[in-house]
Amino acid sequence: MNTTLFKRELRSSYKLWLIFIAILAMYISVIISMFDPKLGETLDLFAKAMPEMMSLFGMGETGATLIDFLSNYLYGMLMIVFPMVFIIMLANRLVVAHVDSGSMTYLLASPNTRRKVAFTQMFVLLSMTFVLLVICVGIAIGVSEAMFPGALVIGDFLWLNLGLVCLLFALCGYCFFISCISNETGKAVMFGAGVPTFFYLVQMLANMGGKLADLKYATIFTLFNPKAIIAGDTSAWWMCGALVVIGAIFFVVGIARFEKRDLPL
Amino acid sequence: MIKINHLTKDYGQKRGVFDFTFEVQRGEVFGFLGPNGAGKTTTIRHLMGFIHPNAGNCSINGLDCGTHSAEIQRNLGYMPGEIALPDDMTGLDFLHFMADYRGVTDWTRVEQLMMRFELDVRGNLKRMSKGMKQKIGIVCAFMHDPQVLILDEPTSGLDPLMQNHFIDLVLEEKSKGKTILMSSHIFEEVERTADRVGIIREGHLVTVDSVAALKAAQRKRYTVSFASEKEAQAFAKEPLAVDLVKGQEVTVTVNDFQPFVAAMSRYTVVNIVAVEQSLEEIFMHYYGK
Repeated sequence: MNTTLFKRELRSSYKLWLIFIAILAMYISVIISMFDPKLGETLDLFAKAMPEMMSLFGMGETGATLIDFLSNYLYGMLMIVFPMVFIIMLANRLVVAHVDSGSMTYLLASPNTRRKVAFTQMFVLLSMTFVLLVICVGIAIGVSEAMFPGALVIGDFLWLNLGLVCLLFALCGYCFFISCISNETGKAVMFGAGVPTFFYLVQMLANMGGKLADLKYATIFTLFNPKAIIAGDTSAWWMCGALVVIGAIFFVVGIARFEKRDLPL
Repeated sequence: MIKINHLTKDYGQKRGVFDFTFEVQRGEVFGFLGPNGAGKTTTIRHLMGFIHPNAGNCSINGLDCGTHSAEIQRNLGYMPGEIALPDDMTGLDFLHFMADYRGVTDWTRVEQLMMRFELDVRGNLKRMSKGMKQKIGIVCAFMHDPQVLILDEPTSGLDPLMQNHFIDLVLEEKSKGKTILMSSHIFEEVERTADRVGIIREGHLVTVDSVAALKAAQRKRYTVSFASEKEAQAFAKEPLAVDLVKGQEVTVTVNDFQPFVAAMSRYTVVNIVAVEQSLEEIFMHYYGK
């Protein structure tokens, strides 16, 4: 890895990074503030009185505790989609934007191999994404403890976020791969954003249940299952493992292609 | 030092480079001349390891350009045909970045180059003029004192004074024994610095010859303006190689100056202009077409 390049890319993208942290911080705080612990207690009483009625409504164990609440309202969309947009933008800035504009010339007309450049850019992507997530987790925990002391099961919450890390790692790998094999920013954004968006929409359809429920096999987002992670299911863990493997494969193939292909410089 | 061996890259529709073979010796300045689209930049991209050939190979200092690019770059300075600088830095930041990125520790050379070319680096790269960006490109290519230099249309965008400075710089480097490959579509630029010239056209290497031989092959043409059309027409009847008569002007090809000057002295000459010979004309004349 080349530290000069690493530092320079951080400096180049930190404003974008801060904007995303600010947006996420705001949403996280707002969502947490909308939690109502009383609702959970009421539902519990109801469930004890009429258990059959509750499961009929599928409300046996949902939305009642803070972590379930967050799992529904944050980890269903916001904590996936916002980081995803950040990843798409950053992955593009790090490789294809340089190739498209021609500034990659200066990175390669140097004693640094293409592999070194690619690895450096990969580290920038992963580190910025990871730290962004860490900060968001910190904010979530901080705000939760401030508003509802003791309500958040922090251990489970951390496991949930570890699962999210796996999903984001897979997204990073895919977007970086697209960035590495593309010559034009426009095309890279189209595929880098288009495919994950498509998969996400498929997941939303699958969530609607009924006949569409089988669509869950057509999207990788299924592999991130917040409920299963919180519950401690082992299936959740091999699914997250699969996400890590997918990410790793994309990184390896992307960097290998970048090393060998013709560049329009 | 720089060896190009049956290099072929076919982009279709007759574009690309086809079976180039030539060598640049150590300490030589080699001019690479050809019209736009002839294949100069394609060849240079192969040398830089940016693209890979369909057939043939190229090497610098014994190292293959495709597989050992980073090692070659340690001692190579490159000026791309299009200077594409990042948007979000000042000139000075960029030069610092390039120096650190390459592992250049001696900043004095950078300062000397900046001063020599009157480079004002404080402004943002985005707002710099083409000439200023070109000068930054020069500093980047020379800052680490490389043994080999590959320069693609290096004086493009520079004013005549700076072009002279640049030519002086190239001649200095040559005297230090550096190997330089310089491409251009302007003969004069190459004329003053190169030892040998390779002429390429439509992807084919037409000829490799010394600059002296090429200069000798150049035709000398002059357009002489006379005081009246009558004089012009009378002059045109002199025993000279007259190419064109237009109004008061007569264009003549001159091999032997004495009869030309003697003839002119018998008329009222108002103006004489040397007609620059285009590259096409050099090629065509060289091949007697």
